[in-house]
This record gives sequence, C-alpha cells and structure tokens, in this order.
Amino acid sequence: MNNINKKQQVWLVTSWEFMHFFKWKQEVISKLILVAFALIIMLWQYVKDDQLTVYKVATPANITQFQNSGQFEFFPNNDSFEQLKEQLAHGEENSWDAVLVESPAINSVKQMTIYSKDKQSWLTELKQTLSQQYTLQYASSLGLAEEQLAVLNQAAIFENKYLDDTIKAENSPAKSTAIAMLVILSVGIFTSFGQLFVSITGEKQQRVTEQLYACMSPQTWIDGKIFGQMLHSIKAMFTMIITAMLGYAFTAVVISNDIIDYSFIDWSLLPWLIPFAISGVYLCTAFMAAIAAAIDDPNHSAKTSIMLLPLLPMILAFITMDSPSGFALSFLSYFPLTAFAAMPVKMALIDLPLWQPLLSISITLILCFWVRTSAGNLFKMGMSMYGKEPSLKEMMTWMLRKN
Amino acid sequence: MELLVDNVQKCYAKVTAIKNLSFKVNQGEIFALLGPNGAGKSSLVRMLTGFTSPDNGEISLTIDGQKYSSIPSNTLGYLPEDRGLYPEKTVIKNLLYFAQLNGVDKKTALEQAKYWLDRFDLLDRIDAQLKTLSKGNQQKVQLITAVIHQPKWVILDEPFSGLDPVNQEKVVTFLSELKAKGMTVILSAHQMAMVEKLADRMLLMNLGESVLYGTLAEIQQEVGSATQLTAHFAQDIPSEQLTQQFNKTQYSLLDNHVLSLNLSAQQSINEALSKITTLGSLTALHSKKMDLHQLYLNAIANHGALANE
Repeated sequence: MNNINKKQQVWLVTSWEFMHFFKWKQEVISKLILVAFALIIMLWQYVKDDQLTVYKVATPANITQFQNSGQFEFFPNNDSFEQLKEQLAHGEENSWDAVLVESPAINSVKQMTIYSKDKQSWLTELKQTLSQQYTLQYASSLGLAEEQLAVLNQAAIFENKYLDDTIKAENSPAKSTAIAMLVILSVGIFTSFGQLFVSITGEKQQRVTEQLYACMSPQTWIDGKIFGQMLHSIKAMFTMIITAMLGYAFTAVVISNDIIDYSFIDWSLLPWLIPFAISGVYLCTAFMAAIAAAIDDPNHSAKTSIMLLPLLPMILAFITMDSPSGFALSFLSYFPLTAFAAMPVKMALIDLPLWQPLLSISITLILCFWVRTSAGNLFKMGMSMYGKEPSLKEMMTWMLRKN
Repeated sequence: MELLVDNVQKCYAKVTAIKNLSFKVNQGEIFALLGPNGAGKSSLVRMLTGFTSPDNGEISLTIDGQKYSSIPSNTLGYLPEDRGLYPEKTVIKNLLYFAQLNGVDKKTALEQAKYWLDRFDLLDRIDAQLKTLSKGNQQKVQLITAVIHQPKWVILDEPFSGLDPVNQEKVVTFLSELKAKGMTVILSAHQMAMVEKLADRMLLMNLGESVLYGTLAEIQQEVGSATQLTAHFAQDIPSEQLTQQFNKTQYSLLDNHVLSLNLSAQQSINEALSKITTLGSLTALHSKKMDLHQLYLNAIANHGALANE
C-alpha cells in the first residue's frame, strides 16, 4: 500500500493547482513594474527635496508688490509689455519664467494675466499663490485682520450628528477601509471564478479527473482545488493592495507634490478584516468549485451563470452600507451567505460588541465547511453520472448527503 | 487476496448496464474483459475502481483482513479509456505529479519515470509537452502513469489503443513483466491476438451479461473444442436447403460457393459432413480450431440471437 495521507495529497493538488496558473515570467515582470514605481516615488521625493526649482516672475512696478515664496520670486519691472514678452520668449537662462500683466478692471474686479512660454504644472500653484496674496492685500486695505478674513471665508460648519452614538463619524477612515475591502474581495473572487471554471471543467472534459479519482477521494481533490485557487485569490488581492497603495503614493508624491498619507485607512480594523476576507474567499471559491464540479460541458451548461452569485454579497453590502444600523445590513451580517461581506462593513461604520463579529465569522466558517463537503459530493455525483449533467434537484440531493 | 464480483447489477436511468454478473479475479493473474462496444465493460471497470457502486450484488476484496467494496485507491493503478493526463504539461511533470499523488517520493519517481520512458523509447521526449506527442506515444506515457507507483492492482482500459504492432508487442512484454512483479492486471481490449497471448483468464461480456468466462482452454471446452469447417462447392449453395440444415448463427457464407461453419463439441463432425454433402458437390474442405477472435465473434452472435428471441 502507498504511504501518503490525505493532507499530503491535498497539498500536492494545491501546489499543482496554484503553479498551473502561476506564470513566473508574468509575475516577475509585473512585480518589477511595481518596484519601478516605488523607485520613481522615492527618487522623486529625493529630487524634489534637493533641487527645488525657483521660478522668476516679472510683475508691474506700479502695483502693490507680492512677497516671495519658496517656489516663486517676484521682480517689479518698468519695461513695456512688448519688451517683457520679448525677454520671456527669447531670454537666456535666469530670464523670466512668467510675466504678470495688469488689465483694466471689470466691475471693480482686478484683472491680471500670467504669460509663460508654454503650459507648465507650476502655473496652477503660481495662480493660487498670487490669488491668496492679493486677497490678503485687499483684506488689509479694508482694515481686516488675517483671522477675520479666515472667519469670513468659512462662516459656518455644517456637520451630521446621530442619536445612535454607535455610528462612527462621517468620512471616518473606517468607511473607506470597508469600501476598499469590498472592492478587493471582488477582485479576489473574480480571479478564482475564471481560473476555477477553466480548471475543473477542463480536467473533467479531458478525463484527468478519472485518473485523479483513481488515486484519491473526491473530497481530497476538491479541497486541493479550493486551496490552490484561494491562494491565487489572496495573491491577486495582495497585489491589488500593493498596487493601489503605490498608485496613491505616486499620485501624491509625483503628481501632486504632496506627502504620502495613508490615514484614510483604519489599520485597527485589519485584524478583523483579514479573517473575514480569507473565509469569504474560501466560501466563494468552494461554492464555485461545487458548481463547476457539476458542469459536464461548459459550452452548453446553463449553470455557468450561477457561478457569478458569489459577487452578490459584496453588491448587497455596498448597497446597504448607507444605513449601518438598519435591518438590511444587520440581517446580511448574520445571513450565512453574506455575513463575510456585510459584517466588516457594519463593523467599520458602527461600534459593535465583540460577540457580534465572532458570531458572524462562526456562521461563515460553518457554511464554509458545508459548502466544501457539498463540493466534494457534487464532484462525486458528476463522476458517477458520467456524461450526463445533473439537474438542480439532483444537485441538492447530493449536497445534503453525508460525506 | 482475490477480487470477487457476486451477482452485480447496475442500471443507468432505464438502461441496465450490468445484469447479474459474477466472476472472480485471482491475485497475480492477468484477467481480460472482452466484449463489443456497449457490452458493459466500462461500467464494470468504474465499479471495480470505486467510481460507482453496484445497485445490487456485491464486489469484495479482502486485503490484510480488511474487506473493501472496490479496489482501494492506494493499491490501484489505472489507465482510463480516454487519456487522463494534462496535455499542456510536460511528460515528466505529468509522471511526477501522479507518482507523488500515489505516495512515491520525488527522487524515486524520477528514477522510475526515466527507466520506463527509456523502455518505451521516450526518454528524449521527457521535457516535451504531452500534447506534442503522437497518439501512440501519449498512450505509452499513460501506461507508465498507471504503474509508476508499482500498485498491487492495475486496471487498463484499452491499453493497446493507438499503438502500432511493434509497440503492441512492447506492451505485451510490459504487462508480462508487471505480472512477474506480482501485480494483478485487469485489462479490457479488442485486440484478441494480444489477449490470447497475455491473459490467464477472461470474461466475455455482451449486453451487460457474462457470455464466456475462464481460461482460454476452459472457454474452448465450454464452447466445445470449437471447430471451424470451411466447405468449397462446385456450384452456388442453395439457400433454402442451407437454412433447413443449419442454425443461422452457426454459419456464414464467404461467397456463393464457400460456406464457413462453426461446430461445438457437442456437434458431430460426421453429422455435419453428411448435412454439407446434401448442399452440392464439394471441391475442397478445411477444418481448424477456432482462435479467440472466432470464439468471440461466435459467442457474441449467438448471445445476440438468443437475446433477440
């Protein structure tokens, strides 16, 4: 008799399944692109800090002068507009980067035009600097202090408050974290959807399953399939998180010349989000494996569309998140098929006692076990029916069987 | 340790694939399952491997005091009728994967794979994608997959499929070696000449039923030493007289002048000759023992005729 136990067989199938869809070349290229992005961000920060460009702006000598800022230096100038334009167009190094020209006022509103050689990203910041300084100058001419001007700019703040004090503050990092989790979960599920379908129906059509069935139990095979695809989903989700974080950092540092600030993520939620995400991906992968195991011919099966059902929990959680203490989200948080997606959203939006997420994840884990066993039964059924696709009634009968 | 199949029945929807079938397979023998397409061989194989269970009757195998209702997977090597490997993967990856799934460590599996690939002249294709191999070579890789882990029981569904005569002979040698190593081989095949060379015992099936069962000698005995007479006549054979003298399942006309007649042991050659001479004047007469191919054709024809009655 051969000495191999079920766990070893599950691991072999898992690694085979994972490596079947793992393409080294693609992985290396994609990861190198991510590293390149990270390097660009680091270099940009270094270059920006060490070599800050200062732009020279010629201003009319007859107006109240602007104060130099770190990025801009203002030089009052009596030359005519034509001369300044000539200097701007053909000037050597150290000549003007921009020329400010005053135009006649319209309805007592001062009109100023900024001339430059071409369109530059720093012109937006120049415009903001000039506008701010002019507003301060104008306020000063009216006898307003800087503080009074600040109050004038924001006369009143309107905020939502709720009698239900468990609801967290609006725009809190928790909400964006919950939305991000739903998006990332969807990415993970989409990843395993395509691969699992191709993998299981392909092996059935090529009759590889018969060879496999001869050396292991249907449950062992399906367990390996689920774990292998689950690893792919987790890899896809992890890559998505890294890409999104790098994308955000690139936008902040390179495009907006800002600092990297990940405070919009509520990191304290992560210890809960990770087990919910993993159990959710497992549940959805097991469900899709069960359906794929019952499909005989993928080209003519009506069951393919059922495999998209695992996306429904994310959609429902997203729709109901505006009312976190409402019946809908509360129900979905304990309903076995949707708990993995709804409960993290609820947790992010309102404070909950510990037993609630514990109950929710327990329900999810129990369902995971049942769906996994059902998937094994359905594969066994598919093998015994050989060439005939089972009806939904037959599938239900087999799903309810003891393994 | 023998495999017992006792009064087994299997139905799919309204079709009875196996009808009250009983036989046994002894340890260490080569046992052949014969029968035309649709005879029930694949249904039987699927029950022996444990893919499906009988509706009635029992399959039993006792190993180390433990009773099993099919051949346990950790003692089984299996060659499916349709190829059951990954066409996109290389030959060696396929072999190593299935060997490891059957409990062989990677190093031993690699040694075994190289040994068998060399035996089948495939060592130079070790890193080739399986789908790039010819049908026959794919079949050889499939055969190696079935035995690389040195199972106690081997079930081979159409092992000669897609092989040229040279490679068929290689498989015959290969199967004899398996037997010499103590493996029990159950094979289903249509190549009667190969089965005749190889099989210790056989079961001929038709329409889900057992038609003939035993060693070749026992089967010939059962059929009745089974003689085939070929009679050449000077003129056309009168069909009316022919049907009066002989049962339709017993003869065939090779052309209008030549009659082929199959006789069982219970039938006297003298009696047959006296009937033949009434059909016209003979120009030549030959007799020979029926080989497995003829026995097979006769048995199927007789069983089919009986089933239709």
